[in-house]
Amino acid sequence: MAGTRTRRGTGSEQSRTARAAALAEQLHHECTLLLDLYRKKETFAKELTVSGDHLVTVPPLSSQLLPNDMLWRLYSALQQCRNLLERAIGREEVVGNGEDRAQYENQKKTVRDRLGHLLESTRLLLADGAGTAAFTPEPKNTEIDGPVNGSPFALKLWIYRIFNELEHWTLTASNTLKALHPDGATPKERGTSGRARGRRTRR
Amino acid sequence: GLDRQVRLDADTEAQKLLVTWEDGRASTFDVEILRTELMEIVFNETVVATEDQSTGKHQWNWTSPVPLECTSLSVKVRSRDGQDVSEWSSQQILPGLDLPDNTDSQMYPEGKTVPVGSNMTFCCIVKEGQQFGSLLYKDTLVKETMLSRRTYATTMTNQGPSNPSGTNVVCSDEKKMIITGAVVFVGYPPMPSDLVCETHDLISVDCQWSKGRETYLFGMARQTYYTLNGRNCSKARDSNMRCGLEQWDGNWTLVARNLLGEFRLTDAAELGHRVRPVAPVNLTTPEVYSWNASVGWLWKYNGYERLSLICQVQRTSHSNSSTQTYTGYGLNTVVLKDLQPDEKYNVKVRCGSQKNFWKWGEWSLPLSFQTKMDRPVAPDIWLWMDSDNLGRVLWKVSTTSGYEVTLWSPEENSQQTLTLPQSMYSLPINVTDRWSKVTVTARNPAGVSLPANVVIPRHLPGKNGGKGSGFPLSWVAHANASCGYVVDWYNTSCTHDCNVEWTRVCVSINAFFSFAGNFFAGVRYTFSLYACSSESTVLLERWHGYMQELVPSRTVPRLSPNQEGSDVQLTWDQIPLEHQRGFILGYTVYLTNASHLTLLANITDPQLTNHTVKNLVLGSYKFTVKAYNAAGEDGGATVSISLDPYTYWLIMEILVALGTMTCLLIIITIACYRKRKWVKKAFYPDIPEPKLPGEWGITQGTLDVKPSPHSMVHIVEDSVWDSSKEALVTVPEEDEEGTGDEEADTDEPASLRYYNQVVEEGSSSRGRPHASDSSASSTGSMDSGHTDVTYTGIQTSPDASQCAGGGGYRPQMQSASCPEDPQTGPEEHLQPPVGSFGGYQPQCSWKQDSPEADGGGLDQACLGSPTSVTSSQFLLPYDTSEEGKEHQSSASTWFHNLLTGKP
Repeated sequence: MAGTRTRRGTGSEQSRTARAAALAEQLHHECTLLLDLYRKKETFAKELTVSGDHLVTVPPLSSQLLPNDMLWRLYSALQQCRNLLERAIGREEVVGNGEDRAQYENQKKTVRDRLGHLLESTRLLLADGAGTAAFTPEPKNTEIDGPVNGSPFALKLWIYRIFNELEHWTLTASNTLKALHPDGATPKERGTSGRARGRRTRR
Repeated sequence: GLDRQVRLDADTEAQKLLVTWEDGRASTFDVEILRTELMEIVFNETVVATEDQSTGKHQWNWTSPVPLECTSLSVKVRSRDGQDVSEWSSQQILPGLDLPDNTDSQMYPEGKTVPVGSNMTFCCIVKEGQQFGSLLYKDTLVKETMLSRRTYATTMTNQGPSNPSGTNVVCSDEKKMIITGAVVFVGYPPMPSDLVCETHDLISVDCQWSKGRETYLFGMARQTYYTLNGRNCSKARDSNMRCGLEQWDGNWTLVARNLLGEFRLTDAAELGHRVRPVAPVNLTTPEVYSWNASVGWLWKYNGYERLSLICQVQRTSHSNSSTQTYTGYGLNTVVLKDLQPDEKYNVKVRCGSQKNFWKWGEWSLPLSFQTKMDRPVAPDIWLWMDSDNLGRVLWKVSTTSGYEVTLWSPEENSQQTLTLPQSMYSLPINVTDRWSKVTVTARNPAGVSLPANVVIPRHLPGKNGGKGSGFPLSWVAHANASCGYVVDWYNTSCTHDCNVEWTRVCVSINAFFSFAGNFFAGVRYTFSLYACSSESTVLLERWHGYMQELVPSRTVPRLSPNQEGSDVQLTWDQIPLEHQRGFILGYTVYLTNASHLTLLANITDPQLTNHTVKNLVLGSYKFTVKAYNAAGEDGGATVSISLDPYTYWLIMEILVALGTMTCLLIIITIACYRKRKWVKKAFYPDIPEPKLPGEWGITQGTLDVKPSPHSMVHIVEDSVWDSSKEALVTVPEEDEEGTGDEEADTDEPASLRYYNQVVEEGSSSRGRPHASDSSASSTGSMDSGHTDVTYTGIQTSPDASQCAGGGGYRPQMQSASCPEDPQTGPEEHLQPPVGSFGGYQPQCSWKQDSPEADGGGLDQACLGSPTSVTSSQFLLPYDTSEEGKEHQSSASTWFHNLLTGKP
């Protein structure tokens, strides 16, 4: 982690934070859309929720976390999201034809690209604050590669969970970055958009 | 007894249970299967199971409607021989996956592919300790059945096709959280059609087919795979249903296969019958000219050199498109003919096998080229005469960069050349000019066209009007008409952008030609006949005609009457040509009386547009003029006129008289002004002012005057008196008394009593009603119109005494006290009262200074006749004071000043 340090809040940094916050907000919107498209494609009823076990694991949130630590935590989560999304894209078979398929595939690519931009923006904020970048190594996650039993439904559910993670963490990123911006409120992690989520597993 | 070892083997994929037991004697057995946990019997029947001779065991297969994993099954068997049965074997249990040691949630069957319409049972095994909630098929809640403590199942019947990623069956807990699920792929086996194999390179084979019914099965595992003669067709995907083989076999078998089944198609043919050439490549234009071009191309395969080909070349220019067909062995060059110079073309080529034609090959890529420019062709020209002297050289528009028009005059050996732009296609000419021939050439960068000539007619034949139901034209053959005749026609009334039609008539004898065209009734057409010869065209004849005459569509314009004494001349204009609708034959003039028309004249000369109606008496008239042609008269134009010759003369005479009088008055006024001294001297000599001795106090009170008995003067008007003998006479007192008032019987002169009062200026200016006898007398004197001077003087009227009731004279009271006898005054004045005056000077009285004298009457008397003075005032000494002058009226003062020359 970055250790203790004080955020200086220079003008350029503020503007970068604001841009990152805007990017996160836009990405959250894209992730919501992707989730909707996936539900429509798989005819998953919206009221159905996924397991509370999370694919993304980060240190628990604490009120004693410094802003830079919160950025580290956020950056780590987003990095895991990107890895999961890449795997999901790799494992999901592109089937069917028509406009719906094209829209869904495009949305996946859009989210992937924007997530890359958000990660880079967040990394720059970290580098500014810490001076040297020492990223959190990706935790060992047994579910990171998806189901191995060949069950089509298990694969679908795994992808569904990844998209839910994306939706959750992009919202968290948006809120955190807004809060870190001098014009924003005190940073604090906010809940997801009303869905029932279980306790986060910290591995 | 049944040897009791029953063995169970499960094929979970097929949901089959193989039951094996040993018993060499019987062939009929009772089998009972029940769900172990809830002890529900799912099968209990007598089956036939023969002994396997090699193993000595009996086998029996059972297909379970429910996946075998869903819950544990218990199986027992006993042999049956008629009604004799053995004892049941011991129960053999096939363990399900809902056993407590298998804690995870699961759903079965998972990932199965089934045909559309099949029935399936899905079971959900909830996690140990988890509460089952519901089952959803797609997004539809379905009814479940409990199979065991942890297993719930639902059966779907007649399933429809799946989504591309399969149909999801989701099992959720009571909190709507997804526990587990399964995917089922419901679709059809493949069913392609229309397998056709052909060759493009004359060696290999290319087969195509239609995909047929959609299988609804996607993905690597479930999609349809094709083999052609046993070789995989890996490129046959989506809509590209084709597969190739390197050699021509003559017979082909296509097998389409997916998880649900396979389908076979076959085709067979000789190579020569299935040649479909490839598209030509590398199209070029080795030679391009103005009117033709050659197009070449290459073939991808050498084998085409020996192949008899038929090729289509499609060429497109602007919006025109045409296709030519060429044939030949190994055809790779064609010549395109009938092209237009300087034109851009797009060509593309496709070919087929000329022998045993099978199908056209693919079109080549298009090739563009532009033909070279050539000099233009000679313009198609015509000389159109739009009037007898004026014409227009016309030529048809072609693709050029401009025109040159040369006007020739062989007689004068002169010429004039005009260069006209591309946009012009006509030139006006006048046949009266010296030019006799016109030559038109078109030019472009490639050169100049051959000339086109037309001869300008020098002498035009006369007109010959014609009309009728059609336009039958006939003419006498002309010697110079070596190449026939040309007839042109147009709408005569057209003035702008007129459509000229012409046609060539190839007759050599006296001709009668009936022209049919788009002619309209009521429209005048002009036909011109030209003789065509090798050198020139000559206008021979011209006609005007109507297809059918109609009555004029409007009345004569500008109809106006003009009075000339007792005559009225009517004038009007000719009806415009487009409204004549027939040849105007003349005009009729009517006198309109109410609704009755009286014919006054019939003008048969259509050029005459006026008519004079003579000898009309004074009054109002309405005239109607109608034009008529062979079809009849128009509606008629009406005009009104009123004959009243005195009105203006009377007004003129009055005006002249008034003018003359005004001039006369002005002259007199000027003359009077210039001779004002003489006029004053002649008519208003100065009258000496009276000298008054002593003091004239202005004291209030009665003034008693005793007039002198001998100085009383009274000029009496006598009706029989000759005015010329008018004179002042002194009337003796006795005569006066004798003829006058009987009541005046005193020797003494009557003592006159005046009431001397100060007359205020304000009161004198107002005309107060002082209608005294004296003033009445004055008025009467005025009314008489005579110029008599009446000095009524100061009276001692007994009437006044009576009226007043007193002896004194009180003029202020008379009018009020004697209103009943206002007319008696003048008469009484004829009877002078007895009395005498003292110091009387009437001449000064023209100047008003008495309040009793009303300005109007007195001034008028003074002004109108300075010689006539009627005075009823007291003849008091003239007050020369300034105050007295101010009492004069402004009018009298002005006139006095005018005469005296005072400012």
